[in-house]
Amino acid sequence: MSRPDLTSSSNPSHVRPGSRDWWAGLLREGFGLSFWLFGAFAIGMGLASYVVLGPQTFDTAVSGSLELVGNTLPRVAAAQFVAGFVWAMLPHDRISQLAGARHGLRGLVIATAAGIITPGGPTSAYSLLAIAAGAGADRGILITYITSWALLAVQRIIVWDLPFMGAEFSAVRFLVCLPLPILAGMIARRLPLSLVLLKTAPQPGAGK
Amino acid sequence: MTNPGVLLIYGLLIVLGTAALSRGHGSFQQGLIRGAEQLIKLLPRMLCALVAAGFLAMLVPTEVVSNFLGAEAGFMAIVIGTLAGMIIPAGPAISFSIAAVLANEGASVPALVAFTTSWGVFALHRVIIFEIPLLGISFTRLRMLSVLILPLLAGSLTLAAMSTLSKW
Repeated sequence: MSRPDLTSSSNPSHVRPGSRDWWAGLLREGFGLSFWLFGAFAIGMGLASYVVLGPQTFDTAVSGSLELVGNTLPRVAAAQFVAGFVWAMLPHDRISQLAGARHGLRGLVIATAAGIITPGGPTSAYSLLAIAAGAGADRGILITYITSWALLAVQRIIVWDLPFMGAEFSAVRFLVCLPLPILAGMIARRLPLSLVLLKTAPQPGAGK
Repeated sequence: MTNPGVLLIYGLLIVLGTAALSRGHGSFQQGLIRGAEQLIKLLPRMLCALVAAGFLAMLVPTEVVSNFLGAEAGFMAIVIGTLAGMIIPAGPAISFSIAAVLANEGASVPALVAFTTSWGVFALHRVIIFEIPLLGISFTRLRMLSVLILPLLAGSLTLAAMSTLSKW
């Protein structure tokens, strides 16, 4: 994975889409380490199923998996294009101001809201987090923001929870998790741990 | 097709696609390219994870999943879901594929909420790739301790809400 960059958000936009470099970059990421690990795991499990359960059960497992893929894939594909359109239309620079430093409970609420609306994957969320840390946001804000992004980010819910788990599950998980980032921020403010932040963010003056 | 989640996704696709098209500035093409890029990247992993989890589900008797992650397992299912979510060092394509297979095998909603919440806050690959390089190990330590109880809380809240609603 390349260096986090807020504006491009891991998008190899400098490479012309459809070109050989474009395909090469995408395929390199698609067939990364976790593909090979899970591929090997799938083959191992497939062999084990064939030997232990016999060819008939093996066939049932394969057709069951293919059916699940067939059901899930169109939704996942549609969700990826939804995320693509959001990404193309959102003002990336304006969101970075939302994670600004504010104290008290109000700050935690704002940090939660900022996490919910942050589009994109960990590249954009962690870049924002580093910027907020560099700008001197307190530890509660930082923990609440990144927890909110991880649990509640609308774009992530549309792209992952919804196609894989359905609307009911997504709604339940969102509602149940809604107060949790604030709780995490309050815990972070009370934990007697020292916090030494790396000075990777552009602004001077690291946080507490 | 009548599933509301599926309708929502396709509805959003149409609305946002139309919005991007009418906005101009190449938004539509950019969105299409971005979506295609993300899809190509996740497809191989998703296929492997779904197939691997499917075989695993066949090998592990259904009773095991329902005993440990099913509704009868109650709070224990939430604890097991939390632990399982903690140790998956991979992105959403894989963790959600596993969650979908577990749901098929009869895992309860509170257990699945605990699992996805736990993966969401702990996701080790994200810690290694982004958090430690950008913010440092002391931030990771503080965050891990701050979010430690969240998956158990999320699962328990779901369990409580479901049992309250079922009494009505």
